[in-house]
Amino acid sequence: MLDELKRILSKVDADYADLRYEIKKETRIVFNGKELSQIGSNTADGYVARVLKNGGFSTIAFTSESESEKALKKATENALLLAGNLKEPVKLAPISAVKDKFKPILKEDPRNISIDEKLELTRQYNSIPLKQEGISTTAIQYFEVSREKYFVSTEGAEIREDLVTNGINGSIVSRKDNLLQNVRVGIGGSDGFYRIRNQEAEFEKKTSIALQLLEAKPVTRGVYNVILNPSMAGVFTHEAFGHFSEADLIEDSPTMREKMQIGAKLGNEVLTIIDDPTVPNQLGFYRYDDEGVLASPVTLLNKGVLSGHLHSRRTANNFSELTNGHSVAEDYRYAPIIRMGNIFIQAGTNSFEELLTELGDGLYILDAKGGQTSGENFTFGAQYAYLVKGGKITEMVRDINIVGNLYQTMQNIVSVGNDLVLSEIGGCGKGQLNIRSSHGGPHIMVKNLVIGGV
Amino acid sequence: MKDLLRIASTVSDQAELYCNSQESDSVSFENAQLKDIDSKIQSGLSLRLIKDNKLGFAYTKNLLNPKDLVDNALSSLKGGVEAEFSFPLTSEVNRVNTYDSSLEELNNMVMVKECQRLVDLLSLRTKGQINVDAGKVVEKLSITNHRGTNLSTRSSFYYSYISVFYPASYAGVHKLLVGKKFQEMPDSSVNYVLDMYNQSQEEVKPKGERMKVLFLPETLYVLIWRLKIGTSGKSVYDKETPIAEKIGEKIFDSKLTIYNDPLDDNLPGARSFDDEGVPGKYFPLVEEGVLKNFYYDLHYAKKLNTDSTGHGFRGGMGFGASESITVKPNPNLNHLYVKPGDKTFQEMLKMMDKGIIVGGVLGAHSGNLLNGDFSVGLSPGIYVENGEIIGHVKDAMVAGNIYEVMKNVVAVENVYHPSTSMGTFPSILFEDVSVATKY
Repeated sequence: MLDELKRILSKVDADYADLRYEIKKETRIVFNGKELSQIGSNTADGYVARVLKNGGFSTIAFTSESESEKALKKATENALLLAGNLKEPVKLAPISAVKDKFKPILKEDPRNISIDEKLELTRQYNSIPLKQEGISTTAIQYFEVSREKYFVSTEGAEIREDLVTNGINGSIVSRKDNLLQNVRVGIGGSDGFYRIRNQEAEFEKKTSIALQLLEAKPVTRGVYNVILNPSMAGVFTHEAFGHFSEADLIEDSPTMREKMQIGAKLGNEVLTIIDDPTVPNQLGFYRYDDEGVLASPVTLLNKGVLSGHLHSRRTANNFSELTNGHSVAEDYRYAPIIRMGNIFIQAGTNSFEELLTELGDGLYILDAKGGQTSGENFTFGAQYAYLVKGGKITEMVRDINIVGNLYQTMQNIVSVGNDLVLSEIGGCGKGQLNIRSSHGGPHIMVKNLVIGGV
Repeated sequence: MKDLLRIASTVSDQAELYCNSQESDSVSFENAQLKDIDSKIQSGLSLRLIKDNKLGFAYTKNLLNPKDLVDNALSSLKGGVEAEFSFPLTSEVNRVNTYDSSLEELNNMVMVKECQRLVDLLSLRTKGQINVDAGKVVEKLSITNHRGTNLSTRSSFYYSYISVFYPASYAGVHKLLVGKKFQEMPDSSVNYVLDMYNQSQEEVKPKGERMKVLFLPETLYVLIWRLKIGTSGKSVYDKETPIAEKIGEKIFDSKLTIYNDPLDDNLPGARSFDDEGVPGKYFPLVEEGVLKNFYYDLHYAKKLNTDSTGHGFRGGMGFGASESITVKPNPNLNHLYVKPGDKTFQEMLKMMDKGIIVGGVLGAHSGNLLNGDFSVGLSPGIYVENGEIIGHVKDAMVAGNIYEVMKNVVAVENVYHPSTSMGTFPSILFEDVSVATKY
């Protein structure tokens, strides 16, 4: 296949071009309540070409090899049209072209497990909530996505890498009269099928929370001091700070770029944030990004001071910084964009009990429920929280949504726990979906967060 | 393709083939400079089989071997997914005008020039960050089944989108234009964005309290999304909707009439049939505040002993970019409208003694959607006092439950606008909505 790609690419008259071909195999088993609503394995494939000519850089995604000539012609035309209208020609930061074949080490390759076994396991986990009175329904699915990637460039890169991701996730819905509560559940990873075995306790715990939420009171809106659990701390790091360190999101905003300069004092000195796709056995692992750049760890924030950005070759050149292999595509339909791989707050020294004592009165907020960011503003939800009084956890409250400003919140993170946990299920939707987006952190304490209840 | 359907029909009781192909181009300007021009040429197909009331489902991009696709569908059939419905025989459908051939010929240069023209116009009157996008999609779709249904449609879709952002943020003021062919964005749209932005430039810090809240066409989807979930045949079947027993009852203010109309072909994207080959029709959801209907695809209609309402579409609710061939049809409303009221936008502003315009939101997917709860960050919130825009608010949230908030409508704008999310809507002003701020 690599030779076939090289043959296609050899017909391009450009300053640089690359071509990625992917076979994406997906297995999906979906339960809605007791009913199985989907099951099957499918294969889809396609090509993505990028052409740099005279400083114009354009992408085309196409399905069939027979369209390759037309597609490359179109991408070249687009690149020339860009070149004629750009103020600054695009340049790509230099890298050394790699020839490598990399297959991940999997503990039980999910592709070798029968669909019957996957169905049985999913059915078994799904039955845990369903047998409880008060649970009205579930939406639970098994998913398995393997991307078999082939990458060549006119610089001589020839890379073959597989990414295999699987998990069981979904939601558990509880009901009492007209009140419905929805709790998310998810297990999985990218290092093998073993991850999703023996996880009954997780489904039991989430079922119990869904039931307890029926008795919980809505939170009163207002400003609170809070402790975020590792799941929440991870989502905060990803949503509020992480996106802002993606160079493509700040590249064209002079005001944001100024705020996110290397050396800017952005956070409290207890805070160090790292993105490291190379940590083995975590969800976000990869060796090469979709530009053929070797992934490397980046310390984004060092004791409160901004110390790095996540880059593509284009932005690395634009910022005069080093490449770090963070340009990743969802699949064969997309050009790569800058993504976090595995972002987390480095563990501190405080135990959870010490954080509670320091908090005194406030909220202990657990388990993220999606978030979104727009420049310095962010919002995210939580599945549930507890009121904390005098350092003691008391009653559960529901309907937790947080809104905040990045800079203020970073200063307001006053204590960092010693118990780092990374996520097992990802799903970042920055234009494309990244199911391997990993994030995490220890428990952290944040002052003055705005909680908008209902 | 005929071969494929023939092979599939011989090994099953029922077979359906869905084929889709599209070519698209997009142009984007960021911070008033040309940034990207990208293209896509995509195609694929999806097969559904029914045998002994069980469903088989498979898809592929490059049809290298028709037999492999049929085999994948057959092997998924073994899983035992129930399918008691029948694919329809649809021989006649309404004619809708969805295609303008001039868009196929449109050169990307024309879109670059249009974007540059808009950038220049906006730059004259603002120092805010300007982003402009334009693009086109030409799509072909066909649905054939073993009963002889053979439907196809071709559509052309052009859009342009202008945005001005507040400093150090991606909160801003936007305007969308859509059409079946290329057209210039009118000056009135440019002026709307500039006026709204310039008047709200100053950052203000109002106290959080209950006040009037105006949702723009661009942000009304926050409420509509929850209504779509509440009225879906799937939610009725799963007993997840709080309005299951409320057909014929008044659930919203009588100023609200909400309907789905796939046959209205003034805007692009009209459809005379859904993704299962069931004919589309005008479909009232809420009339003058009264709940009229739930909507169904073939599967959920059969489950609940009723007929499909022609709302089986591939592609989920809300966000997520699954390719249509990779997902089975589900109940969905793809052509939603809110009927315009009797107030101009300016008149609505004058009705706000104190209030917030929801200019953009963060976290529309957060909160308890099934219950109708919403709790969204404002990005931006535009603050109004005594009928005048006086600034924008940061770090604010608007929260409530649609089954309460939508009972208190002050006014509905007298014209509707296409939006990037979920339908074609007027602006709507609500009374007494909870707004949380940091102040």
